[in-house]
Amino acid sequence: MTVKVRFFARFRELFGGDIITDVPEGASFMGMIKEIAGMNREGYDAIFDDTGAFREFVILMKNGKRIDCANAVQTPVADGDEIAVFPPVAGG
Amino acid sequence: MIAIQTADVDIGQLINEAKQRGTGAIVVFDGVVRDDDIREMELEAYEEVALKELEKIAEEARTLHNLCSVDIIHRIGRLSVGENILIIVVSAGHRKEAYEGSRFIIEAIKAGVPIWKKELTKDGSRWVPGEHAHGSGRSKR
Repeated sequence: MTVKVRFFARFRELFGGDIITDVPEGASFMGMIKEIAGMNREGYDAIFDDTGAFREFVILMKNGKRIDCANAVQTPVADGDEIAVFPPVAGG
Repeated sequence: MIAIQTADVDIGQLINEAKQRGTGAIVVFDGVVRDDDIREMELEAYEEVALKELEKIAEEARTLHNLCSVDIIHRIGRLSVGENILIIVVSAGHRKEAYEGSRFIIEAIKAGVPIWKKELTKDGSRWVPGEHAHGSGRSKR
């Protein structure tokens, strides 16, 4: 199945923006992001801490809705999902 | 008008259009690029989501503060010092609602709408840190 992962702001600079990826059925939200982030050491360190948990300030969205880090481990991704990963917002 | 766009807007026109039946006060918030020893500012948005969130904030403000009209225009792209970043125009029957409605909108935008600013200086660039460092990771504690 195909999932679109979108990075914004500093994360976009590290990962290059939108990534379309094929993931196996049953893949978790967190596992998928870890796999993508693992391709870029600096990017991985920007998103995950030394224990492999999401850094406190990282914001996650699935199809435009925020999800908590605690749920990211169990949350499965589905075909066609749009996942967003970004740092704290600074609009206005 | 609720929009995320590169172009500037005619604030005078927005004010005229905000004078609807029952209007007794109009408050304009105009956030501009401050001269913090920068050359320019670059703004980025998760546009589809940010626009929906601006529409939701406008609706909440309209209901909570009894506003007659709400306009929110957030600009993206590269802006120079002094240029408009965010224009909020609200009208209400009385000044209290208009002021409070405007304040509600700007604080809600700063708290959660996915938009980012990068300051371009003569030595390089830096992302502006958000005022609300409330990431999804916080819930694990």
